[in-house]
Amino acid sequence: MIIRGGIVYDPANGIYGEEMDLFIEGGRIAEEAAGPELDASGLLVMPGGVDAHSHIAGTKVNTGRIMRPDDSRMGTEPRNPVCRPCTGYTVPNCYAIGYRYARMGYTTAFEAATPIINARHTHEELEEIPILDKGALTLFGSNWTVLECVRDKDLAKLAAYVAWGLRASRGYGVKIVNPGGGEAWGFGANVKGLYDTVPNFDVIPAEIIESLAKANEMLGLPHSIHLHFNNLGKPGNYTTAIETLDLLKGVQASRMRQVVHIAHMQFSAYGGTGWKDFESKGPAIADYFNRHSHATMDLGMVLFGPATTMTADGPLEYANSRLLHAKWANCDYELEDSSGVVPLVYGRKMPINAIQWAIGLELALMTKDPWKVIMTTDHPNGAPFVNYPEVIALLMSRPKREEEIATVHELVKSRTALPTLEREMDWTDIAVMTRAGPARILGLEDKGHLGKGADGDVAVYNLRPDEIDPSRDHALVKAALAKARYTIKGGTLVARDGEILSAPPGRTYWVDAGVAEADANRLMADLKDKFDRYYSIQISNYMVQDAYISHPNVIRAGLQVREGEDRSSHALAREA
Amino acid sequence: MKTIRLSLTTEETVPIEAERISPDQMAGLELDQIKCLEAWLGNRRITLDALFSIQVEGEAQGPESTTIVLEGDFSRVKRVGERMTAGSVIAKGNLGMHAGNNMIGGDIHIMGDAGHWLGREMRGGKIVVDGDAGNYVGAGYRGERCGMRGGDIVIAGSAGAFLGEHLCGGSIRVEGNCGDFPGAANQGGSIFIGGSTHLPGAEMVKGSIIVGGHAHMLPSFVRMEDVEMEGERFVKFSGDLVENGKGEILVAETV
Repeated sequence: MIIRGGIVYDPANGIYGEEMDLFIEGGRIAEEAAGPELDASGLLVMPGGVDAHSHIAGTKVNTGRIMRPDDSRMGTEPRNPVCRPCTGYTVPNCYAIGYRYARMGYTTAFEAATPIINARHTHEELEEIPILDKGALTLFGSNWTVLECVRDKDLAKLAAYVAWGLRASRGYGVKIVNPGGGEAWGFGANVKGLYDTVPNFDVIPAEIIESLAKANEMLGLPHSIHLHFNNLGKPGNYTTAIETLDLLKGVQASRMRQVVHIAHMQFSAYGGTGWKDFESKGPAIADYFNRHSHATMDLGMVLFGPATTMTADGPLEYANSRLLHAKWANCDYELEDSSGVVPLVYGRKMPINAIQWAIGLELALMTKDPWKVIMTTDHPNGAPFVNYPEVIALLMSRPKREEEIATVHELVKSRTALPTLEREMDWTDIAVMTRAGPARILGLEDKGHLGKGADGDVAVYNLRPDEIDPSRDHALVKAALAKARYTIKGGTLVARDGEILSAPPGRTYWVDAGVAEADANRLMADLKDKFDRYYSIQISNYMVQDAYISHPNVIRAGLQVREGEDRSSHALAREA
Repeated sequence: MKTIRLSLTTEETVPIEAERISPDQMAGLELDQIKCLEAWLGNRRITLDALFSIQVEGEAQGPESTTIVLEGDFSRVKRVGERMTAGSVIAKGNLGMHAGNNMIGGDIHIMGDAGHWLGREMRGGKIVVDGDAGNYVGAGYRGERCGMRGGDIVIAGSAGAFLGEHLCGGSIRVEGNCGDFPGAANQGGSIFIGGSTHLPGAEMVKGSIIVGGHAHMLPSFVRMEDVEMEGERFVKFSGDLVENGKGEILVAETV
């Protein structure tokens, strides 16, 4: 396939709005190619979008669907010869997720939190999401084996467990949610900060985070630890955020990337002593990121309208449901974590919601380096992902922000710095925040750029970067980004002007990390005991089998198996 | 003034979904256009003239001067008057489920019986039923936080269970008896039941329910003082304590 004459933004390769032709051969970007030609003369061309943090599959997404039949009715689309029927808005069905991302020019999305014990369900749903390449991050932050390894200061065993957990869940990276809190919630309690002891384990969240970060780097995983802070969603929590970031300054990265990625930063950038004097600490957080380079964040932007909050932070969801008098689902995942789901509506006249909205924008606009801050709405916690064009329009246009500020609660003017911010992002910033940045942060070498050998994922938009002024024409920008002129996935044209033309299956990424045999043996003896005594299922039923992943893309890490050596010498493979 | 008369020409056993039978949809249309409006017969897409004989008299400026008269038994015809803002619908016989869904204004008069989900999530206007009504009158559909938010529903006969579930405003009056759980999760509407009922106001936080007959009360309501209204004595209850509710229930006779 040849894409002719587009204005290409490919910041990972130093291309900032150059007119050029793109060639895709065998599903990858090449120097020349045959086949159909697409005319993109003068149009905005970027790599396919990459979403590094989105709740798109698994038990809590499905719980959201079950408890919200009202949401199902908000997004029904009948089937057509290409597409299966779609339902839902904040918690769309699997098909809708694939089609709606593809319509916006997105080709990759990663599920943000999966307990190992429920990973099979996650993969069953990922299998049904058409078009997108995807992966799932695995939860480790309140896991009994992790807590024991941390207590015993046995990093080698912890690394072996992380490798085994990724293999068991066919997971991509280490997700940590309110570390220790998920375990404490089993007893109706929570941890209140980095130095609060987790009941029955005699460890503190600070040790859990630091140990998992070190284990992550011992294994050389493509992605860093992916952290949801303690005290998330509470007024005054920005001090916990900065304390935690400081804790990780000394950890050495094993690859050219951050040592910690902070999930949905907006929910942890709060000042005040309670909801009455709640205020933004976005500027303080942005300032920290401007002065340090070991961490990256995604926004977790809040937009006004319906959302469904879902997280492994069980106590947070309990607090949400009490505060809002809303529906509440709660779950405990045996030895692993907790979780909760609460639907809500963000109102522009609600002081707290208006300040949350402003904080997301502050974080993006005040962090100078776009490679450190990527765009998400923590779908569907802050807003459904279909609203990304709204976020981009806000970031690119100060007049649009001023129009919005005039309609939201007036406390935005006194409790946030947003009205004073003049920065308007350009297409390079946007290409970094939605493509190149997330791909680099996740460690996806073939995504987020258009260099030779990269995946043939390309988005062409009905916008002429040379002619329009995004600051003034923000409505045009928003409309064009919602419906890509062309979305190309792996060299196949999947969408044109919002219409899905074909729906090929995507691949699922997972990480297979090797560890020393001695460590694996120590671990397996321990795990056998855990399964005999505590788990409700057998270890043989626990592992996600390859049959659940029909299009895998396995990334090797950790101790590498030498060329020509039998795979069965892989310690964990044999044990599993 | 424009009057549109529809009568069923066939006797269907499967449900008909006809949300286009509404003054807003029909006011500006000629007879031929009305005949071609789409409806669903079970899982088949059809046009209105396949099922109904249709006559039009007079002219209308808009929905407010449009009256739709339904002749015959429309108990299998669903969603009549959905989202209507003005005008009137008169059903000479029964009318099927979901009549007056999300209705905003105007009025619906059902001379026979109404089906389930009458006036669900309605916001304004008036519905009068001369006969009985089914379950979930003025309720919110599955998962919805708010049912009826405004307007009036008056039922001369009896109503089914879950009358006014998730009521957020407006008023419902039932002259006869009412099924189980009227006013469940009431958040601010008022309900009058002339006859008797069972377990009113479960999970209510605001609003009022008056029961002229007898009712079996939930244990999570506190009995308050007796009150006299229009010469009759009522026992007053406050609750539902399960939800820290401040709702009010007046019952003539508790059992």
